[in-house]
Amino acid sequence: MLMFVLRRLLYAVPIALGVTVVSFLLVYLAPGDPLNAIAPADAPAEVIEALKVSYGLDRPLPVRYLLWLQRAVQGDLGASIATGRPVSGEVRSAVGNTLLLAGVAAALGVLVGCLAGAVAGYHAGGPLDRLVTALSVVGVSVPHYWLGLVLTIVFSVRLGWLPAMGAGPGGSADWLWDGDHLRHLVLPALTLCVIPLGILSRTVRALVADLMQREFVLALRARGLGEAAILRHVARNAAPTVLAVAGLQLGYLMGGSILVETVFAWPGTGFLLNTAIFQRDIPLLQGVLLVLCLIFVGLNLLVDVLQPVLDPRMVRQ
Amino acid sequence: MTVLATVQAGVLATARPAVHWRHSLIARLLASPASAGSLLLLTLIVGGALLAPWVAPADPYQASMLRRLLPVGSPGFPLGTDEIGRDMLSRLIWGGRLSLLMGVTPVALAFGIGTAIGLVAGYAGGWLNTLVMRVLDVFYAFPSVLLAVAVTGALGPGLNNSILALTLVFIPQVVRIAESATTQVRRLEYVDAARISGASTIAILWQHVLGNVLGPVFVYATGLVSVSMILASGLSFLGLGVRPPEAEWGLMLNTLRSAIYLNPAVAALPGALIFLTSMAFNLLADGLRSALERQG
Amino acid sequence: MVSNKAGQLTVNRWRRALQGLAALVLVTACSMAHGESLVRYGISMADIPLTTGQPDKGAGGYQFTGHTLYDPLVAWEANIASRPGKLIPGLATEWKPDPQDPRNWRFKLRHGVKFHDGSEFNADAVIWNLQKVLETKAPQFDAKQSAQVRPRIPSILRYRKVDDYTVEITTKEIDALFPFQLPWFLIGSPAQWEKLGHDWAKVALQPSGTGPFRLDRLVPRERAELVRNPAYWDKTRLAKVDRLVLLPIPDALTRANALLNGQVDMIETPPPDVLPQFAASGFRVVQNVTPHVWPYHFSTYPGSPWTDLRVRKAANLAIDRAAIVKLLGGLASPAKGQLDANSPWFGKPSFEIKYDLAAAKALMTQAGYSKAKPLKAKILIAQGGTGQMLSLPMNEFIQQSLAEVGIQVEFEVVELENLYLHWRNGAKADMNAGKGITAINLGYVTADPFYALTRFAYSKYVAPNGVNWGGYSNPKVDDAIDQVKATFDPKAQDRLLAFVHQQMVDDALMLWVVHDTNPHVLSPKVKQYVQAQHWFQDLTTIGL
Repeated sequence: MLMFVLRRLLYAVPIALGVTVVSFLLVYLAPGDPLNAIAPADAPAEVIEALKVSYGLDRPLPVRYLLWLQRAVQGDLGASIATGRPVSGEVRSAVGNTLLLAGVAAALGVLVGCLAGAVAGYHAGGPLDRLVTALSVVGVSVPHYWLGLVLTIVFSVRLGWLPAMGAGPGGSADWLWDGDHLRHLVLPALTLCVIPLGILSRTVRALVADLMQREFVLALRARGLGEAAILRHVARNAAPTVLAVAGLQLGYLMGGSILVETVFAWPGTGFLLNTAIFQRDIPLLQGVLLVLCLIFVGLNLLVDVLQPVLDPRMVRQ
Repeated sequence: MTVLATVQAGVLATARPAVHWRHSLIARLLASPASAGSLLLLTLIVGGALLAPWVAPADPYQASMLRRLLPVGSPGFPLGTDEIGRDMLSRLIWGGRLSLLMGVTPVALAFGIGTAIGLVAGYAGGWLNTLVMRVLDVFYAFPSVLLAVAVTGALGPGLNNSILALTLVFIPQVVRIAESATTQVRRLEYVDAARISGASTIAILWQHVLGNVLGPVFVYATGLVSVSMILASGLSFLGLGVRPPEAEWGLMLNTLRSAIYLNPAVAALPGALIFLTSMAFNLLADGLRSALERQG
Repeated sequence: MVSNKAGQLTVNRWRRALQGLAALVLVTACSMAHGESLVRYGISMADIPLTTGQPDKGAGGYQFTGHTLYDPLVAWEANIASRPGKLIPGLATEWKPDPQDPRNWRFKLRHGVKFHDGSEFNADAVIWNLQKVLETKAPQFDAKQSAQVRPRIPSILRYRKVDDYTVEITTKEIDALFPFQLPWFLIGSPAQWEKLGHDWAKVALQPSGTGPFRLDRLVPRERAELVRNPAYWDKTRLAKVDRLVLLPIPDALTRANALLNGQVDMIETPPPDVLPQFAASGFRVVQNVTPHVWPYHFSTYPGSPWTDLRVRKAANLAIDRAAIVKLLGGLASPAKGQLDANSPWFGKPSFEIKYDLAAAKALMTQAGYSKAKPLKAKILIAQGGTGQMLSLPMNEFIQQSLAEVGIQVEFEVVELENLYLHWRNGAKADMNAGKGITAINLGYVTADPFYALTRFAYSKYVAPNGVNWGGYSNPKVDDAIDQVKATFDPKAQDRLLAFVHQQMVDDALMLWVVHDTNPHVLSPKVKQYVQAQHWFQDLTTIGL
């Protein structure tokens, strides 16, 4: 077991390194000059030259990468070109906000998705199954930025029940688990949860429907085991797959919340990324990209390691 | 996991030397009302897009401030007009061109490139396989929306760049499916038999392996089109996709957003079309998958 | 805070939630009892502008973290709506050029003004702030602030302290318009910078100026909370609210939703199509004449399709500006030139800019083009728009209108920052001329003679030496501008400037479309707000 965990860890290291290279290089694909984000449109040449030197933009690319990596490893992601604030600080608070949103959305989606999928799979072919299947197709097909817009119009503007934007009355810096803050979370989380909801209910439905056909279930039933006990068996068999899919979904939501965050002005990584792209703020863009991807790699690692806990057969594979 | 299970089912279902399975597949597909309905809807949308110059009732670029944001059902403008008075119906029909192009092209490109890489990696095995798959793992480590946004953001907005970005997002996924299918087929007896009988690698790949790999990859790719449509219009929505005045559903959704108070129905139309098309592709992929499974 | 404490004491989750809510109600009630008045303002920027002294985010940033926290030496009168403002004393009580050598300007400084940290404002503070943005070797030099303000005060050559309350600033050449540059230059506290360990990042969080507001709290990208400075030196400009919270909400629709939903109390630049909804809900739209123009700036270098005056005039006549104003929900006024027709610098152009399709077509025919044989031109526009108005639909509408008269326009779309790069480099640069770009679309601030006229019309400012983007050169205009600089009589200045503008219009230097009216929407709760005819707004006028 320990060996298995170590092997997975070792495997994750080169991937993480690859991620740093890609994150670093990606932003240099771009045309256009990052200096424009720091200087106003009519800044004189000498000011621009000074800024160039102070941001290290005059060094060759590999040197810049190594310097960047060295500092990144120490948690220093440089300073945002547009604001001058340390990128790590900006990313930290944004990642916290996105994690909150994506976590709640994923939890909601996974929970409801599993339940709906299980019910549908258990009654495979019945009307409930059809309903869940139809809803799950809707879930994976709906453009969620559009859904978010429609939900805002209905619930915050027409009905006035929920806030339309932001992470709370005092901003994200003083997040509390109280009613007023949770109200801000409802619409974005609902909008974002339709994706994992759709995917999870499809996955679980397929798994459960399949397992219910398996010989061991038939054997258990023949032995006179109650339905509850059978469901427990089915659940245990489905758990590793559900875990893997759910983990992946949380990762996707972390990276994929950009559209929803833009619609709801949620101060997370997506919002930050959007700003960074349009301001051509290279250090910020790199920082956000890197941190999100490393979280994704870490999540995958966690799932890999947790799966055998649920299903020891996997270690031997 | 389910994806791999499907691949296994697909490969086992179709793994036989040369069987004309396609015919019966289409028959099975059409037997399901959901798939048949999706096919019909897609035919309409694709047909409309292809025949846009002849089908569209008006010039999609002809603006007039005097008739902006007319509601659905206005005389002469069955689906109303947009924020600068252009005919919505015509723009939606024309918009299908770019939206479908942006949705389908990356998947088609990824399908071609990914299958080729997967075939080679899966068939060669060994270090080449390891190398290819590990490099792709790096790209796999980027959540897809993030990668698409980052690449388009870096390259700059535009149709070509967003197609390129989405292709890059889908290639690793297709390679995984193709590689896993190839690896399984490679171990089957008749492939061994062909190899022993002295067939060249290319011939084996072409005649025996490809046919069995294409099925599952195709099913998977059909499912990807829906994701691609949503992502592509999402890029346009963020301002990273096509440029104005082009008609494209994501961009139209973006520019019509603020009309949602004045004329909610018109503002909701582009989003609804993205939704319907994406759903049709999803249902079709489901139908294909189950038709493939039942065939075995 | 209160709700948190209350929550920790109880065990039951429901009770905790209820108590939290009760506590919140209590907090609201308390703050009302204490009479702390609060206005939350949704602003269109993606981030709070820099708070260290010189705001970024263009001219629009000054009203938020510039003239709220800080004061300039010479201020702009921004608390009047009925007429254009004028230069008024700020931290300097008077200023005048030396009659012997008018390049030397003497500034008498205001006595008894204190920074928010309690330190004294004096001549040393002024010199220290000038060094902060103009002397790269100075320890307090800040590249970021420098980059923002340096291009706005190009005339300054050197400066010296005469006594504790007198400063002399010398301009590079005789420049009668020099005082117009000074509202852009703000004075921060040297003591605060010392106290915070020479760290500008820390100053950003605890800035100290002399302005009518103090910064109470800054959450980057989310909010800035300004509180009234009761000790402000100008008692006529004490803030009417106790607390003003600025919330960056860059997306126009989200901003509108937040206002309709009661999350903010006022917003700037509403999406025009939401205006009926605002009216129906009892919200008030405030707008005013604003020194701003939204044009296509032509290149007149050889090879550009715009070298022919007839074509430039035809383009100006082809646009139905009333239709664009309608598109903007009435939140704009049709342009008849670079400036509003009521401006003292408008002059009497012989070319009248209006919608006249027949005349436009006739001019195009004379120039040898028609709808069947169109002139082709590539125009650079910004991705997300120019920050104001509905750039995208406006551009699409103009494209359509120009096609009517035989000008086939193709857009090259880039992000705003990239657009600025193309702008700064001028039409002749390879990135423009090399790609066939012959016009550029940006919103221009036209607040003073330099911003409105000379920077675009003076041949010495041809890019990259300035932002005369298209290479416009007219000896008569150059001559008039040279005269303005040496003319200290305001009446004579106005006459010369009117001549410059008149020439610009007759030469159809740009395709002028509309003037923005800088609309704001106020909830019924916000009863007072004076909107100046400027980009500088006085936020102390906001009141309940």
